Formats: sequence, structure tokens, C-alpha cells
Amino acid sequence: MTEMTQDLNRFDRIIDRYERSEESLLAILQDFQREFHYVPEEGIRRLSEVMGVPASKLYAMGTFYKALSLTPRGRHTIKVCTGTACHLKGATQILETLERELKVKRNGTTEDGEFTLECVNCVGACAMAPVTIVDEVYHGQTRPSKIMDMVKKQVGG
Amino acid sequence: MGAINSIEELEAYRRELAAAAKPDLPTVLVCFGTGCQANGSRLVAEAFTEAIKEQGLQVDVNIGIKTTGCHGYCENGPLVVLRPQDILYLKVKPEDVPEIVEESIKGGRVVERLVYRDKVTEELVPRYSEIPFYKHQLRIALRHIGTIDPTNIDDYILAGGYAGLAKALTMKPEDIISEVERSGLRGRGGAGFPTGTKWRSCARVDSDVRYVMCNGDEGDPGAFMDRSIMEGDPHAVIEGMIIGAYAVGSHQGYIYVRDEYPLAVRNLTLAIEAAREKGLLGENILGSGFSFDIKISRGGGAFVCGESSALMRSVEGNVGEPRAKYIRSVERGLYNRPTVLNNVETWANVPEIILKGAEWYASMGTEGSKGTKVFSLVGKVNNTGLVEVPMGISIRELVENIGGGILGGKKFKAVQTGGPSGGCIPERLADLPIDFDSLTKAGSMMGSGGIIVMDEDTCMVDVAKYFTGFLVEESCGKCTPCRDGLPRMLDLLTEITEGRGTEEHLAMLEELCDLLTWGALCGLGTSAANPVLSTIKYFREEYEAHIKDKKCPAGVCKALITYYIDPEACTGCRLCAKNCPQNCITGKRKEAHVIDTSKCIKCGVCKDVCTFDAVRIS
Amino acid sequence: MEKISVVIDGRTFQAEKDTCILEVARRNGIHIPSLCYNSEVTSSGGSCRVCLVEAHQGGRMRLVTACNYPVREGLEVRTDTPLVHRIRRGVLELLLARVPDSEVIREMAAAEGITEARYRKDEGENERYKCIACALCTNVCAEVVGVHAIAMVGRGADKKPATPYDKPSDVCIGCGACAYACPTGAISLKEQDGVRRIWHKDFKMVRCSVCGTPYIPEAQVDWIVRKTGKDRSFFDKCPDHR
Repeated sequence: MTEMTQDLNRFDRIIDRYERSEESLLAILQDFQREFHYVPEEGIRRLSEVMGVPASKLYAMGTFYKALSLTPRGRHTIKVCTGTACHLKGATQILETLERELKVKRNGTTEDGEFTLECVNCVGACAMAPVTIVDEVYHGQTRPSKIMDMVKKQVGG
Repeated sequence: MGAINSIEELEAYRRELAAAAKPDLPTVLVCFGTGCQANGSRLVAEAFTEAIKEQGLQVDVNIGIKTTGCHGYCENGPLVVLRPQDILYLKVKPEDVPEIVEESIKGGRVVERLVYRDKVTEELVPRYSEIPFYKHQLRIALRHIGTIDPTNIDDYILAGGYAGLAKALTMKPEDIISEVERSGLRGRGGAGFPTGTKWRSCARVDSDVRYVMCNGDEGDPGAFMDRSIMEGDPHAVIEGMIIGAYAVGSHQGYIYVRDEYPLAVRNLTLAIEAAREKGLLGENILGSGFSFDIKISRGGGAFVCGESSALMRSVEGNVGEPRAKYIRSVERGLYNRPTVLNNVETWANVPEIILKGAEWYASMGTEGSKGTKVFSLVGKVNNTGLVEVPMGISIRELVENIGGGILGGKKFKAVQTGGPSGGCIPERLADLPIDFDSLTKAGSMMGSGGIIVMDEDTCMVDVAKYFTGFLVEESCGKCTPCRDGLPRMLDLLTEITEGRGTEEHLAMLEELCDLLTWGALCGLGTSAANPVLSTIKYFREEYEAHIKDKKCPAGVCKALITYYIDPEACTGCRLCAKNCPQNCITGKRKEAHVIDTSKCIKCGVCKDVCTFDAVRIS
Repeated sequence: MEKISVVIDGRTFQAEKDTCILEVARRNGIHIPSLCYNSEVTSSGGSCRVCLVEAHQGGRMRLVTACNYPVREGLEVRTDTPLVHRIRRGVLELLLARVPDSEVIREMAAAEGITEARYRKDEGENERYKCIACALCTNVCAEVVGVHAIAMVGRGADKKPATPYDKPSDVCIGCGACAYACPTGAISLKEQDGVRRIWHKDFKMVRCSVCGTPYIPEAQVDWIVRKTGKDRSFFDKCPDHR
């Protein structure tokens, strides 16, 4: 099997999980995102070919939906919830602390490719505000003085 | 048990389940809502399973979503309820489990240290239904949450589920619509459109294909009612949709769930599969000849997709851009077919309305707003969580009686309702009833039910800036007023919060608000002015303080505040100095410390670590 | 083909039900400015908000975009009120601030008395050039031409038309319909020495066998031939010499 077909297979595997319908497009793109930590261009081209939808439309979707990223994300994702309750309880300070300590701006990835720092809209855990999610793990009542330790503890080292 | 082929079979099945159930059997309910799981409830559940097996006890470890758990008592989770004693335990750790098993399950006693203690009276309240937070509630949409396992359809059926559907299938579709109309049910997603009217408009359009949809894109920050229902009682939504579909003549439904709610997607998916297996979805439902099925569509992280026409475009496989709604979705919606789109909570109410009747539902609430409403009470309030109460309760009752008053004894300043489409209501208007119409008259709107409580430490200009910033990020970019106007509004608000504001800026802000209200394409834009206008209306003095005096009275806007250390309170422990990222705090051990304000970046870490409350903001 | 009566600025007109206000107005000599609408492109309109007018119907009044509001019995339209002008000025001021280099916008704004925008320059301005993100170009490419070479990319103020990854498009035929449709002339279409450059791609042009003028991209001819089966030799001569 050539590398080319291997590559196509990894996309086809995901595409084949779904009905061949445009209703599945967003779900497929999100599965790409989950699997590859971003939506690769080859993925978009392959999906366009298989489904018969314009690549421009898929690309537009990739730039429109916040859940999708067209550039590779870091090995770990830190999401700071910026919902109203979290904002009132100091989410801005959490975000600023992380930006400062990790030397990265929001929506950016650290130079070593370890962390991507993002803001996320209210995740509905408002009673635990402010909430920070590290790789799908929810942390509540986070504090600027403790956040870095907490991140390091979770990802290990 | 395979498919249920008729209404009689459903009732027989229900009786079978009831006969097999042992209501007096002690049950442990561990909350598996997103919040409690975040706090480790899975480990707690495992600890219970272990301990019980070890001791050979006859207990059914039932993992269900608990009322308090998904109701925002996440800060007190993991939550455990013991039946039949109805005891609620908070912040349970796996290490606590042996004691609970020994004392409560075997010994019938209460473990006091884990029980709810009223923050105001300091009384211990072990019984779940007596906790003030729950006592005042009337749970209809939330009727099953916390008592059933949402991933087990038998639990739902045993609790009375699908009886509403069974009854509906014996009624004429026209009569179902009338029942919903007479109940007075209005859309719970925020717009408050009369549900029965919507169904009737859709049913009357001549078309062989029509759709029913569920809007699960709960985007208002601070609102998590729909999350709780989708996670904790997905069958209630499904049952409501089947009834609605039967009433308007639809055979295909969609539930659109926002991407940020993975557990809701999972539980809805499991529920749909289970319903299909039992013949409650699919062909010939309960032998009625009516066929209907549901697909789940996931959002991609876009607040604007909560807008109905944007949602439909997203489902069709596009970017979520709204369209002009001069022709309503009930006429031309999904794929240009007549479509009924209702909110999660709206659907969850439908089975009860059919089962218990319109008069029952209309007997609750106010003249214009019938029934109950689920609110998420969050922010600077003692008891944060989800509360379901009859419409018409006053803001003050909600905040003080149920919410237990303001956190830390601070002053109640305002509530923000309706998310980014809503506004702020000041404390002096807190006796207003909460329903669709009263809050709109006051310049806000009830919205989907998120109630953010604010205290004296909240800067209302910052709040306006926060919501405007949110909308700038979420604007789809199609129309000029929203796309280009909101960033200008954010600019102006930033100037004001950074001490460069002028009276002219305020006037321009109001002009832009006017422009958006009249000129924007969709609800996101036309209601974007609300947070700004309502704060200007009720807190103009705060805007003036920022503009004229260059001060932030609440002590929030960084450019206008200074951090300093109160020499009387400081013990010289040096904790702040050690943690300061700028190294700008100096002082000798055991002596009062000083912040060099020229280097201070106001990150707040010193205030965060100081245990003597010596760091102050001026 | 139901005919109804609609009142515009006090005068009554007959029109087919569900025609848009703008069409009815134009047919009857009433001027309503517009930018993002093209009557050949049904998916266009509703974006720039320049054509907002007052619609009085069923006891209520709201501002609606004339380019896609359907006329129905009982509708009364007012195009020249203080409210209409106030909102139009607001829209044009925002557009002027967004694309100060656009002559079209300057002219429209001047007609409403606006010569300068009160907002300060923002960073996106230089990249945006004259684009008002009205999507007419992408609508034309999708609906009329049918190749979907470009799409509206991104969200909010940075929304803009683009090819995937801003790379030369596999499917663009260089027809330039997007550039012709653009109300502000924001799309770059350059020709030199028989080569057209648009959307970062070069298209070799067919030269007329009579006058030698390069007049149509080869790629576009390929596409037409594929779609319609027309004989290729039809395109040897330019329209002036056929």
C-alpha cells in the first residue's frame, strides 16, 4: 500500500462511518479534528471528492466553526471558559496568567507544540466557575495562583 | 424485551417493571452530570459498587443524574442521594464511602459532616426535599432528573414515560394542537412564541414533507438548563418530539446539540437507540401506523447557530448563516419545508401537558406566561443551580429565598437575564415578576432562563463590554450593522473602561445600538444593543464615573484601579511577593509590604494568595 | 401568478405576489439604493442593509431589506422617511469606515450627507481594500456559474471571499463573473499579454482569429464545451466578429 492510499484510508475510514449526505459533513470534519488534532487539507480535498461537495464550502466551514482548526493544535489543549459566570469570577485573570506563563496568546500554540490555549463559550458548569478544561478534563474554581500547577499536574511534568 | 407493538403492551410492560421494582430497596444515586463527573463521581460510584459487593448487601447501585448535580450544585459535588431515606450527601469522596455504607445504608443514620448545611441559618438539612433550594421548586421539565438513569429506558417507562405519547396517539392531531394552544405553553428558548400557534401554522401549510426540530444549541453563557435535560432526561425530549411530529404530520425529526455538550450527545444517542429498539421510534410506533425517527446533529462551536435559520443551514451541512425571516420557518424552514423548531425545555413539557391536560398547565404561572420555567441561578449568589418554579416569581424571591442571598454578604446590585440578547435589571426593580412580558418592558428579556446575579464588585460597564466582545466573536459577518457595528461598539466601550471615554463616545454608542436594533439581519444583531442600553439606562452614573472621573467604582477596570496593600492588615508573610510575576512587591519579613504600582500589571495573583485580605483595590 | 396591490410612498402599484419591494420600486421609477443584490442571482441580497425601507403591515412597522422582502396584499412601503435615512446613514458610515478607498461607497455616503466616518481606522482595513463582504461574488460563482471556486470564509468583520487556503483553485475557470458582479470593484482581475490573472491563478486567453484580441480564458471554453457540448470552434472568434 502506498503512502498516498494509506493517507486516503485514514480519511475514508472516518467518512465511511456516516451516511453519504451533506448532513454528515460537519460531523465528519469534527471527527477529523478529533483524530488528527486539526482538519488537514488532504482531508478536506478527499471529503470533497467522496461526497461531491465543493472544497470551497468545506474550507469555509473549517474557518467558520470554532470547533474546527485548519492548523495543527498542540498536544494538549487548555480551554478557559469565558462564560458570564466564569467571567465574573475571574476567568480573565486565569487566561492572562496562562498567556503569561506559557508565553502564548489565546488561540495560539506554544512554540514547543505542547499547549494550545483557547477560550471556550460557556460549558454549562457555571456553579464551578471559573472553569478550565485541560484535555477534556474539567477543573472548577480555578485560581490564578494555582492554575499552572494544576495544568502541570494533569499533563505530567 | 423487544419492540412494544401497542399501547396496551406498553402499559403491560410498565406494570411488569413496576412489579419487579423494589421501591423499599435501598438505592444509592450518584450524580453523573458533567459537573459531578468533573469532581470524580465516577470513582465514588465505583467505590460504592466495591463496598457493597464486599459487604454482600442488597443494594442496587443506580447511576443516575441527580437533581442537584445537574442543577449546578456542581460546586458541592460529587452528590449522592440515598433512597428511600431521601438523604443528600455533598462533596463525597471515595474515602467517605465505607462510612456512608456502614452508617447510613446499614445503620440508617446520617453522616453529619457530609450533609447540606444552610449557609445562612447554619442548620443541618439532611433530607433532600427539605433543602430550601428544592422545597420551593415545582419540577415539571425537570421531573425525572436525579431520580432516573437517563441511559436506561426502563427507568423512564417505570417513572411514567411514554404515557403521554400513548394518550396522544389516541387523539386527533388537531386536538393535540388545541391542547397545547390552550395550555398557554410559550417557547422556552427565549423568544416565547406560543407553541400551539407555531404547530398550527406549520400543520396548515400544504406539504407532503415537514420537519420537527429541537434546538439544543444553548449558547447563552450562564445557562445550562437544556444541558441538564438532554443529559438527565433525554427521553422527555424525544417523547415530546414524537407527539409534536404526530400533531403536525412530520416523519423526520432532528435534535441539534451544541458541540460543547458531549455528554448530552451521548445520552441522547443512547436514548434514541433504546427508543428504536422498543418500537417507540421508527415505523408504526406502538402499532398506530405513525412513523417517525430522529437524527442528531452536532453543532460546531458557533453561538449564532442557536438562531433558527442559522441552525437549519448548519443541519443541512453549511456554515451557520441566518437568513431574512420574512417568510417564517413554519412555512419554509429546513430544506425549504415547513418546520417546527422548539427548544429542549419546551419539548420536555409537552408529554406532561398531553397527559395532565391544558387546564392543569394553565393553572400555573401568570396570565401571559403559563406553566413553570427552569432558571439557572449563577454568579454571586449563595446557592447556585437550576431551579424550576412557576412563572411569576419575583427576582428578589429567586435570589434571596431560593438563592440564599448574595455571596459573602455583599450588596445585591443587579441580575442579568437573557444572555447576550438580554439586559440588566437593577436591584431596585427586583420585585418584578419573572415572565416573558415584565422583563421585556423593563428593557431586558427573560431569555432562555439564565439569571446571573451581580454584586457591588461587578462593574456594569465591564459587563456591557463583556457581552459586546462575546457578540463580536460570534457575529456571522453577513450583515453590515452587526459585523462592522459591534466592533465599533466594543472599541467605544474599551475607550471608556480604559479611561479615555468621552460624552461623545456614549452618544455614538447609543446611536450604534439604535442602528443594530433597526437594521441587523437576525436576532443576534437586533438584540445586541440590550446589554449596552440596559446598563446605560440603569447605571448611567457608572458610565459617567468612568468618563468624567476616570474611576471604576466597582474596582474592576484595570486601567482605572490600583492594587495596594493595607499596612494594618499585612503580616509580612511574603506570600504575595513570592508569587508576584513582576517581582514588584517589596518588604521585610514580618513587616508591611508595598506594591510598586509602576510595575504592577494588576494580574490579581497577590490578592488571590493573601489569606489576610490585605491586598486591596482602590 | 397572483397579482396584488402594494403601496409605495403613497402610490399604489400592481405586482405579482412575493416579488421583492426593490423590483416593484425599480419598475415604477422609485429609487432605492442597493449594493449586494443582483436580480439574476436569487441567493443574493439581505447583506449590506443599504436598501432598508419601512414596511407597514398588519398594524406593525419594521425596517426590511427591499431586495428580498416579498410584497403581499396589505403592505405599505415608505422609502423616504427620517428613520430610513437615519439608519441608512448609519450603515453607510460603517461601510465608509470599513472601506474608505471605495468610490462607490463614498458616493453613496455623500448622497446621504456623510463625507467622513467618525470611527478610527482599524487594522483590517488594508487587507479588506474595497470588500464589503456582501457575498455577491460567491453567490454568482455558486448559483450562476456553478463552479464554487470561492466561498465566504471566516466569521465577523474578517469574513471575506477566498479560494480554499488562498491557493489557486482547481475549479476556477477564470470567467471573472465575480469581479463583474462585485458592487465595489473589489476583486482583482488583471490581464496582460494574453494572460488573465484572478484569484492568484493565471489563465491563458483564447485570441480571436479575426482581430487577435484575447477575449476568453481557455479554461472557460473547456468548461462551456464540457457542459453544453458546443463545438469548440465556436469560440475561435470573439463576439464582435462571430
